[in-house]
Amino acid sequence: MKSDLPGQDFGVSQGIYGYLLRAYPLRHRAQYGAAMAQLFRDQCRDAWNESQTWGLCKLWLRVLPDLACTSILERLAALNERKTMTEKLANLCAFRGTPAAIFVAVFGVVFLVVFIISVAITFILPESYASTARIKVESDAPTTNGQPLAYGSYFIQTTFEIIQSQLVLSNVIARLNLNVEWGKKYFAGQTLKSSETMEMLKPRMQLAQVKNTKLIAITVYSDDKQEAAQIANAIAESYRDYRVDSVANMKAQGMETLLQGYQMQEDQIHTAQSAVESLRQELKIGGEATASQSAQEQPYWDGKRNLSQLLDLHKLLYAKILAEKMDGQMPQSTLVQIVDRAEPGRAPVKPNKTLNIVLGAVAGFLLATLAGAAFAFLSHLIGQRSRKNAGAV
Amino acid sequence: MAKPKTDPLSRLPLTPAVFHVLLALADGERHGYAIMQEVAATTNGRIKMGPGTLYGTVKRLLESQLIEESDERPDPHLDDERRRYYRLTGVGEQVVRAEARRYADMASLARGKKLIGKAALVAQPGGGA
Repeated sequence: MKSDLPGQDFGVSQGIYGYLLRAYPLRHRAQYGAAMAQLFRDQCRDAWNESQTWGLCKLWLRVLPDLACTSILERLAALNERKTMTEKLANLCAFRGTPAAIFVAVFGVVFLVVFIISVAITFILPESYASTARIKVESDAPTTNGQPLAYGSYFIQTTFEIIQSQLVLSNVIARLNLNVEWGKKYFAGQTLKSSETMEMLKPRMQLAQVKNTKLIAITVYSDDKQEAAQIANAIAESYRDYRVDSVANMKAQGMETLLQGYQMQEDQIHTAQSAVESLRQELKIGGEATASQSAQEQPYWDGKRNLSQLLDLHKLLYAKILAEKMDGQMPQSTLVQIVDRAEPGRAPVKPNKTLNIVLGAVAGFLLATLAGAAFAFLSHLIGQRSRKNAGAV
Repeated sequence: MAKPKTDPLSRLPLTPAVFHVLLALADGERHGYAIMQEVAATTNGRIKMGPGTLYGTVKRLLESQLIEESDERPDPHLDDERRRYYRLTGVGEQVVRAEARRYADMASLARGKKLIGKAALVAQPGGGA
């Protein structure tokens, strides 16, 4: 295969790999070092032909962990072939050069390995977008003397639980057809059950109260920014609909009770009216009350007073029913207002690439310093002991 | 050098890297780069062996006499004469056959339990870091 690899890149990669081969035991290097370098050169050529510089980067991301793991394994294998502990340690630290050179070599390898692994993990991790919808919620609890009850943490906590409940989320799933869509996306087209979708949806939601306000922030995370915004908005709308429906249902039930009471009162009034009229005819009493009411007429006047009270109550009940009817026709959207609709995020919120890379560099620096110092110190000790042994012989 | 075991079954199970290298050599002798390419091709690119893994495996296979270095070369005009070719030994062929049979038996068992062919469920990361 003809290579169109630039000479400079080729030489640099080969040179670095050739230097890193020193991580292997001498014997292994003598037997396979040339073949490994040749294989690496072939892989460089393929990687360059595949996607040029990015191809070479990907190759290094594969080769460095491979080199780190296998060089440790080969050194451990070489240890088992040695006889004395001193020989074992000498083999483990069998780098040529001064302790300073050993420190630099070990530092370089460990730092590169840790840093490149952290960069690779950062770019391999799936990206996650966040979208937030904000809603303003009012309590619909009964009031005392016209004053609303306290807007406390119980109400907010209850609201959070309701938003995460089947009452609200089942509507979200139905609106966005998530059983089918997520089945296609994550389960090879298999339609999910609502309970399964809900279990997947809950961990992607985050609810928080905006401090010292009646606002609740509904944040949804997803690998698709459009989907995150759609779900956040659907949750806000479903919760609003749930509150409006539940208040409407409550009012409908109250109205039914009022109408039943009204009907019962009407029956009582008719009965009372009949009784009073019978007494009036029986006692031959005129339409107006007179000053001289005899004791015989007393039942009539008592019945008439009862009837009058019943009629007053009936009027009050009628007025209450009219008021409830008008209230029921008023829009209830003030219970929940969608203050901010969720918009698709511009950039992924996770992983935090800059932070991860900086942490990788810091961790690499610390580990590399420790490993370099340990190897250099060990090499120094072994060198001293070897010189002593040689002197004794 | 380790003494070769005569019973191929006593060497099973093989590690995936060893099995892939032996499978790559089942067709005939190959050099390291060709082994790596064969493994990548037969696994649809899922396994790309690095030089360390490949030659670590080759070293162990040579020590256990499952493969041997070949002295024969194809036409030197067609190939780099510095390349080292490897081929299966008789024992190596028995071992790779035994391992392949073992995999076939396990696949048959899994098929009997209807584990193969069913759509695998894929887990979705949440909003984690």
